[in-house]
Parts: sequence; C-alpha cells; structure tokens
Amino acid sequence: MSRFNAARGLSRASGGISTFLSHRAGVAGAAILVVAALVAVIAPLLIPADALDVTRVTAAPWQAPGVEYWLGTDHTGRSVALLVVQGAGTSLFVGLTAALLAVGIGTLVGIVSGHFGGLVAGALLRVTDFFLVLPALVLAIALSTVLPRGLGTIVLAIGLTSWPSTARMVRAQTLTIEARPFVERARALGGGHGHVIGRHVLPSVVPLVLVNATLAVATAIVAESTLAFLGLGDPTRISWGAMLHQAQLHGAVPQRAWWFLLPPGVAIVVVVLAFTLVGRALEAVVTPKR
Amino acid sequence: MLEISDLSVHYGHKRVVSDVNLRLAPGQTLGLAGESGSGKSTVAMSVLRLLPRSARVDGEILLDGDDVRTMSWGRLRAVRWASASIVFQGAMHSLNPVQRVGDQIAEPMRLHGTKGNVRDLLEQVELPQEKARSYPHELSGGQQQRVMIAMALACGPRLVIADEPTTALDVVVQAQVLKVLKRLVAEQDLGLLMISHDLSVLAETCDDLAVMHRGELVERGRTREVIANPQHPHTAALTAAFPVIGDPAHRWAQPETTEPRTTEEPLLAVHELTVDYGRTRAVDGVDLTVGRGEIVALVGQSGSGKTTLARTIMGLRKPSSGRVIFDGAEVPRNGKALKAFRRQVQLVLQDPASALNPRHKVLDAVAEGLRVHGIPDGIPDGEESLVTAAVERAELRPASLYLESLPHELSGGQQQRVVIAGALVLQPRLLVADEPVASLDASVRGEIVALLLRLRRELGLASLIITHDLGLAWQIADRVAVMHQGKIVEQGSVEQVLLNPSHDYTRALLRAAPNLGPDLGPQV
Repeated sequence: MSRFNAARGLSRASGGISTFLSHRAGVAGAAILVVAALVAVIAPLLIPADALDVTRVTAAPWQAPGVEYWLGTDHTGRSVALLVVQGAGTSLFVGLTAALLAVGIGTLVGIVSGHFGGLVAGALLRVTDFFLVLPALVLAIALSTVLPRGLGTIVLAIGLTSWPSTARMVRAQTLTIEARPFVERARALGGGHGHVIGRHVLPSVVPLVLVNATLAVATAIVAESTLAFLGLGDPTRISWGAMLHQAQLHGAVPQRAWWFLLPPGVAIVVVVLAFTLVGRALEAVVTPKR
Repeated sequence: MLEISDLSVHYGHKRVVSDVNLRLAPGQTLGLAGESGSGKSTVAMSVLRLLPRSARVDGEILLDGDDVRTMSWGRLRAVRWASASIVFQGAMHSLNPVQRVGDQIAEPMRLHGTKGNVRDLLEQVELPQEKARSYPHELSGGQQQRVMIAMALACGPRLVIADEPTTALDVVVQAQVLKVLKRLVAEQDLGLLMISHDLSVLAETCDDLAVMHRGELVERGRTREVIANPQHPHTAALTAAFPVIGDPAHRWAQPETTEPRTTEEPLLAVHELTVDYGRTRAVDGVDLTVGRGEIVALVGQSGSGKTTLARTIMGLRKPSSGRVIFDGAEVPRNGKALKAFRRQVQLVLQDPASALNPRHKVLDAVAEGLRVHGIPDGIPDGEESLVTAAVERAELRPASLYLESLPHELSGGQQQRVVIAGALVLQPRLLVADEPVASLDASVRGEIVALLLRLRRELGLASLIITHDLGLAWQIADRVAVMHQGKIVEQGSVEQVLLNPSHDYTRALLRAAPNLGPDLGPQV
C-alpha cells in the first residue's frame, strides 16, 4: 500500500519535472544559474586577497584584454575578470534576499487582505496603492541615502519597494480560492482562519509565489545594479553595479576601456535572463495549459 | 432530412461513439438521452462538424442528402445555421457579455444575408421588444436561453439541435422554455434533435427517444413506449432514477420510521428567521423544524432564499433577526461554541467536484473535520480508523482503494460520497444537503438518495435537503416545506403537500415539474 502511494506521489512530482525539462530555455536558464551560484560560492575561496587589493596589484591600469589578463585591468590595475567573478556573490545575494523580503511581505499582505476583507483589507490595499504609485527607484534611492550605507540597506530598500505587485497577485489568488465551495465546506466543518489559510489558501498560493519570486530576483538584481551604479551601494563590496559605477566615475568611456564596461553589463543581463527563463518555465509547470 | 449512419468517433485510440444510426424527418422531434460521457453531445456536434480536430469521424452524416463530413468549407459555412442550428447549453457562457442581445441575434442573419428582423424573433420566443437592447447579464437565465433559441431560429433552419437547453434552469423556468421550444417546433415544422441527461425533459418535448450508453445507441423508439416499457437495462435504470410524484414505488422513505414524534423536542427549530442582503430580504420570517431522525425537504425555485436559509442555519451567515435553536439551545454566533455546533451539523454541497480541494487526497478531505476538531480520545490509531469507517459507511469499499486518490480521479458519484464521508466522520446529528444529487448522473442519483436514507436508518441522522426537485422530495423526505420569495408558503407531510397542495405556488411548482408518469407523457 505505502509503496503504491510513494509511486503515485513520485509520478506526480516527475510529471512536474518533465514539464520543466520540456522547456529548453528554462533548462538553459537553470544551468546558467547553477554555474553562477557555484562561481559566487567558490570564487572568494580561490582568489588570493592580493589580486583585488588596490595597494598590492602589480599590473598597469587600463590594460587591454590580453593573455595575462583575459578581460584587461581597471583604473587601479585589478583584473576585470576577477572583479566580475567576485561581484557575482554580491549581486546574487542582494537579488535573492531582496526578492525573498519583497515576496514575503507581498504574500503576507495579499493573504491577509484577501482573507479578512473589510476594514483590514481596505487599509492594507491603500498602503499597497501608496507603494505602487511611488516610483520604486526614487523611493529606493531615498531610503538608501537616509539609512546607513551597507548591504542590509540595499536589501531593505529594494525589498520595501517591490512587494506591491506580489501582494496584488496573491490577493487575487486568495479571493478566487476563498470563493470556491471547498472553502465553504471547510468553514462548515468548523475550520477557523488558520485552518482555511493554512490548508487551502496557502498551498494554492505557494506555487504562484515561487514563480513570482524567481522573476522578482531578476528585478532585484537589476535594482541592485542600478543603485550601485548610482553610487548608493556598499562601497566596501564589489558588485557588478559598483563596477559600472567605478568605470563611469574614472572615465572608462574617454579611455575607450570597453573591457571595463562590457563584462559586468553582460553578466547582469545573462543572470537576469536566466532567472526570467527559469521563472517562465516554472510558470508553465504550475499552470499547465489544458 | 438528417440521416446518420454508422457514425463512429475516435479521440486518439479512444472510441467515444460507435456505430450510431439515426434518422430525423422534418417536423420530427427526437430526444437523445444518456449520461455524461455517453457520447450524446459528440453525436450532436458532429452534425455540424463542430468537433475538435483531434476527433476522427467515420460513417456518414447526411444533412438534406449532403454528407457533412466531405462538404467543402464554403458549403459547410452556408449549411451551418441556415439548414441546421444549435441551441447551446449554458446560455450564460454562450452569449457575448459585451454585446446587446439584439445584435447577437442579428449576427447570423447578417453573415448569411438572410432577411428577417430581430423583433419577430423576440416575439416568437415571447420576449418583449425592448429586450433587444439589453446585455446578457441584464436578463434572467430563462430569458437568456430564449435569446439562444431566437438566435438558433434566425436563419430559418429546418433542423434545430438543442444541447441540454434547460439544464441550468429551475423547474418553473424550464417549463416555460420547453413550452416555447415545443410550440415553435410545431408551428414551423422544424426537426428537433434534443440532447439531455434528463428523461423527463425529453418526455415533455420529444415524440421519439433514443438512449445512448457508452457511445452506443442502446434503445430507440416512441418516447411513451420506451419509458413505459424499457427494453435495455440502462434505459430502465434511467427511467427508474426519475421519481414519479404520487407513485408509491418511488417513495423510498419508509413511513413507519417517520411517525411524528410530537412529544419530543425537535432537533432543529428555526423561529421567525430573517436574513437581509443589503436592502433585499432573502429570508423573511421563516419558521421551520427538523425532528430527530427526520428528513425534511426545503423546496423552491432558485432565488427563493432556500440556500441562504441553509447557510444561516449552519452559522455561515448572520441572521438579521430571529433564532435558530439546535437541540434545545440557541446556536452560538461565534467562538468555541459555534465550532462545537458545527461538529453536530454538517453541510453537503451541490457540486462535489468543487466542494473538494483538488489538491487534497480523499484521506485528507475526509480527515479535515477531524483535524479541525481533534480526535476523540480512546480510539486506537484514531484518524485512520475513523476515516476508514466513514469512507466505508459512505459505501466506498474497500476504503484503502480510495484514500490515496485525488478528487479528479473519481467519478461524480464517488466524489459526493467522499463529501458525505467527510461529514460522517464527525458523527453529526443533522446533515444539511444543498441539492445533493442535482449535478449527478441519473443512475448515480438513486444510489446517493439510498445512501442518505440508509444513514438515517442506521445512525438516526436527520437531514435538511434543499432542492428545486419535487421528485427528490417525494423520494426521500418525510416532510416538505415550500419556500417562495423568502417565505415558507406551505409545509406538511410529503403526501399532504405534494398530492394535495393548498397553496397556489406549490400547485404551480407541481405543474411545472416534468414527470414521467403514465398519464403525463408528451401532450402535443
């Protein structure tokens, strides 16, 4: 009996996996993300501290790509290739945590306003609208200038400005689930708020939220790069956006040092694209077309 | 006019229709009966080549001598609607919500260049002229369905195919729509092919009857003869499933168990209950009692407030005024006491497919109530044994076969049994069932009715059955309460109310109810 159950559960899970695998773009995106994550984790362990220390580098500044430095050097003589590799960690970390924060707030606000309705929902929705109409970037800039500089501030600034769309979506999904007769049945059985939310609403919202989170990571990485490019990032850390900021600040364009601008830009595009592709493929798994 | 010979339809390797032969002459009315999945709609759609591409159609479908299967695209377009048209089921979904119904009726005439006007058509289906300017949501279900009929007649077809034209409508409206359809067919000498799962509807409208079962035509003949003397066991099962009001053979509730125990305090008593939705009064000063172990049917049209009344009894809605008394104590409005009350009273909803969370296995769906209320002490491996017992009580045997299934893997009848098991597991004393068999196939319907009666016999379970179906009330109930516009206009024993009604509204309902009784066959 239990073996039979396990087999059935397995076949359902493998159905989802095979749907995902049938989306080649999604598989490619997932592969890129695995590589990026490995690089972000391993790179700091392998790169000698000297190589990225401005005071100890030996190479000449603004060196064009060559045999010794594949992607050339920056204005201080550091290897651009090593900087890109080192920056992956910051970009991914900020992207993931900010997206988690945004999706977490959004899910909470969405479910609470969808489930309880009435005054609570009214108040929450007005707050959502407030954040929705404010230009997120401007708000993020304002927040990161007011708060002390650091990685935490960036995460907070991005997270606090990008949750409203998730909240709207989760609320809509909550409302459709709550209108279904099985929720009425659960209430008639004596189930309270916790039961209805935990057993019925949350399980049907989670897949959507997961997809949304994947897409939110992409947005958060772009937002992080933007903030860093504007010089509002953590000055002690290397990130792709910060590299672009440095390049712009120290005149990479008049120097015609394309090798300082292009690699971080391409890295951002590739990782964001990978997240988007994975998100789209997951969307297809979650909402199968009939 | 229409001649179908050796029609077979395959989807992939699955054969959904096999070797069907049908003939229809002008002015003839043919009913095609069958349960869901019997292939009756597939046959109808094949007449106008409306099946999806994945369907493989073999055989011959001659419409006025032309084979629909091999017709050119242009010819097919000309034939569609001009020679044969369809009244689709579910007018709500078949009408465009953002177009005025007048424009929608005119659309086929414009496409085919037929002369005619919308006014005449509306008059034919007994709708006022002004309605042409209405949008679909401004019309009632019966009016929408009559718009669909007007649309089907727009290009003067000689054959009309009606696919479950009255399924979503309640009895009174259904009777009106059927009357219009019947009159038009007779006046204009149309051929009518009507598809329905409901034999009584077909008996009202059609002279001939064909019964389909698992893709095959199992019986065909004059409607009266087929119903009075079914040859195939499936036809017999279908006819038996529709109770004849007044026929003692269809009265399943045993009278001896239902002696009025007036001395005892009733299990549920509703006093002067009033419920408002904003300014509309949905329930208006209702008094109702359900005795211990008694089955009471609450009948009425849609919109009569019967569902609101049930929701209020369950404590799912707050009444504006009045009291609900259960087992001698007023039903609490909130908190722990309300939760405890809900353990005693269980709800069975109309559509089992939507009453079960599609992600929950049968085990979880049945155990849901137990998990909410906690398992009573002293039961060895509590949850599993209780769930198994409840599932087997609901006649899903052996339970282990079903516990791990998801709802969509079960049939409609099995799903409804799961819902009932989920109620039984809490050992309730009253079951409130909202149209418990309305969405089920005829043959399953009887089984569920029998199950409810058996539960009453074995567990002393009282029920309040909400239905628009007087036949169901006759079959199952001890007492009937008739509800009209928020008020209970008549209540009493089944025999008294249904055989000797005292209120005009009850008489109207009884007249409208389609009946298979020998004296009530098609009256042309």
